[in-house]
Amino acid sequence: MNRHTLARSGAAAVAGTLLLAACSGGTDDGGSDGAADASACEPSDGPVELTYTGWVPGMEDAIALWNEANPDIQVTYNTGPAGNAGTYQDFFNQLEADQAPDLGQIEYDTLPNFRVQDGLVNIADCAGVMDAGEQFVDWTWQQVTFGEEGSVYAIPQDTGPMAMFYRADLFEEAGIEVPTTWDEYAEAAQAIRDEGAYITHFPRTDVNWFAGLVWQAEGRWFENDGEAWTVDLTGPQSTQVADYWQGLIDDGLVKDTAGFSDEWNNELNTGELWTWVSAVWGSNSISSGAPDTAGDWAVAPMPQWEPGANAAGNWGGSSVAVLQGSEHPYEAAQFALWLNTSEESLTALNQGGGLYPATTAGLELPALKEGLEFYGDQAIFDVFADAAAATDPSFTWGPTMAQTYNDVADGFGAALSGQGTLLDALQAGQEATISTLESQSIPVAE
Amino acid sequence: MSTQTTATGRDPGATGQPPGRSRRRTRHAGALTVLVVPFFVLFTLFYLVPIGYAVFRSFRTVEREGTFGPATEVFGGLTQYEQVFASEAFWASLGRVLLFGVVQVPVMLGLALVLALLIDSPLVRGKRFYRLAFFAPYAVPGVIAAIMWGFLYSPSLSPFTAVTSSVPLLGGGLVLWAIANVVTWVYAGYNMLIIYSALQAIPGEIYEAARIDGAGQLRIAWSVKIPLVVPALVLTGVFSIIGTLQLLTEPQVFRSFTTSVSSTFTPNLVVYTTSTVPNFNLAAAFSVVLALLTFVLSFVFLRLTQRKAFQ
Repeated sequence: MNRHTLARSGAAAVAGTLLLAACSGGTDDGGSDGAADASACEPSDGPVELTYTGWVPGMEDAIALWNEANPDIQVTYNTGPAGNAGTYQDFFNQLEADQAPDLGQIEYDTLPNFRVQDGLVNIADCAGVMDAGEQFVDWTWQQVTFGEEGSVYAIPQDTGPMAMFYRADLFEEAGIEVPTTWDEYAEAAQAIRDEGAYITHFPRTDVNWFAGLVWQAEGRWFENDGEAWTVDLTGPQSTQVADYWQGLIDDGLVKDTAGFSDEWNNELNTGELWTWVSAVWGSNSISSGAPDTAGDWAVAPMPQWEPGANAAGNWGGSSVAVLQGSEHPYEAAQFALWLNTSEESLTALNQGGGLYPATTAGLELPALKEGLEFYGDQAIFDVFADAAAATDPSFTWGPTMAQTYNDVADGFGAALSGQGTLLDALQAGQEATISTLESQSIPVAE
Repeated sequence: MSTQTTATGRDPGATGQPPGRSRRRTRHAGALTVLVVPFFVLFTLFYLVPIGYAVFRSFRTVEREGTFGPATEVFGGLTQYEQVFASEAFWASLGRVLLFGVVQVPVMLGLALVLALLIDSPLVRGKRFYRLAFFAPYAVPGVIAAIMWGFLYSPSLSPFTAVTSSVPLLGGGLVLWAIANVVTWVYAGYNMLIIYSALQAIPGEIYEAARIDGAGQLRIAWSVKIPLVVPALVLTGVFSIIGTLQLLTEPQVFRSFTTSVSSTFTPNLVVYTTSTVPNFNLAAAFSVVLALLTFVLSFVFLRLTQRKAFQ
């Protein structure tokens, strides 16, 4: 990968500015490198080998099924770290060097980021893609098409509808009611603190978790009218969510542990943390991180801002995109469709990786109707199915989410150390996002 | 260069014939090319070209139309550098590592000097063991060392919870020094070895003369050994300054242990964070400015110390 870039720039350095311009343009107009655009989505002649990078555990099993049935389209899978933990950086570097895999796992919140960097192939004209739209949960299709006619930049894979995991045994022992509203949640937080434990942690690095809460409150961080982006991290709903959690932090009712850390696992495992408002895939995080608590957990809908409401947010969920530079967009799109719509694949992905399908049919998988032993035999996926249906479809992500997350996370970290507030962090994130957009010549509305 | 002069310098005595000399010189030139070219090819490919590429990128900027319009890279002049100089986070991170260096480098080199003098002292037994023991942390990869210390510091996972739960070692006020401790632990032994080899190079007669003059071991260490290893101290000092400005591994690893290490904690983290946007042009400009500052600081340090060290 390096040699390619180096050789190019080496030649360029000698040959002068003209060559330089041509050279750096190479990554931008992928067409000249043999990458087909949407209008030319034709099958390739002869056998095809595809590369695919993602981080879903058990993906190999689903791919083995495909490879067996499709000897002419063989897929090789590479496992990377979770997106923001390294794979996105790899993709960006690989795109820069024209060395990206044919297919990449990209979460919905990062799709605009890749599109703005011209990293995605529009596969709308590949056979079967447009027709597949109706199979998917509404908001996911909205995310991969960006709400445009004639655009499909990825195939939805899974979603992360949110609900509340809680320690049923501890709530019952202590005689504390399981909260259904955020007000009750704050009261329970105090009661649990009096028991010497914490209701939950405030994860400063999981800004996408916070975004899920804003999503539930019907807040919007970004709007894109085609002319310019509107950035609004500090709207009334975001402010409401930030003030709420700031209150819990100020009263010392939440732990400041970093999410998914060994320390956090330890706190879950020893009963120091009683709840986690999280996405459906969080069920695996708890069962693998806190094995000693098997059977003690249960799942309830997210606490609500209005009593009796049933709004839900979404945290995470991925799509599979065909990356710029792929020589076989047709075959890549066919594979991505099969991977994310066929029952055999969805079953394999749910068993191996706990993926929660993005297709409406997938939500009816037999595996998603069963009770889970770890959760006291509760059929927890029913709760998440309701949440998925109650998720507002129009939430939009910004074009530099990695940066927005970083800047807000820095502010959250400071707020947890007592410097500034969560709202200050959102304000700082807002300003940093706008200046980052401007530095990349991405238009911002005032 | 030096190989060539010594080689040809010896030749006249052996042959004495001018034509032979010139023929031999060309033959040497061939050998020289063979020996030197691989270095220069690798040096150019993996050092000069990347630097040149970074400088080139730092003068580029992106233009696009509409929210998802295709990007075109154009010459941007000093656009990126304007942003570098306007970036509060970058200069704050630089201030942070300078504070770090002012405290950590003298402490570490002082420790390295004391350790080197101890294992050089004729009074100490088991030198080989201590030399290896002090050097061993350097053999631990930086990431592993940082993870290990992260666990030791962490409030609820540490084996020393009595200390870590009452003293916030990973809190905003102390985390910089917690990192300084890791860096010192890793590199003190390495610097000790450099100073120790300088001590080994001191001729025995000097010690003999000192002893005849009635100096004890302490006096010899203070008045003979330390002045003679000052050049080694200067060398390790320059290495340490460069290392401090380039801090990345330890703070990056600590980000998973504490909320106090921001994504712009050190200059190199600023570069890394900028490249994840991804804004390669701005990241390149940060790198170039950081490299220039490192060069200036090392140079100033050398000028200040060299007057004393190499009189």
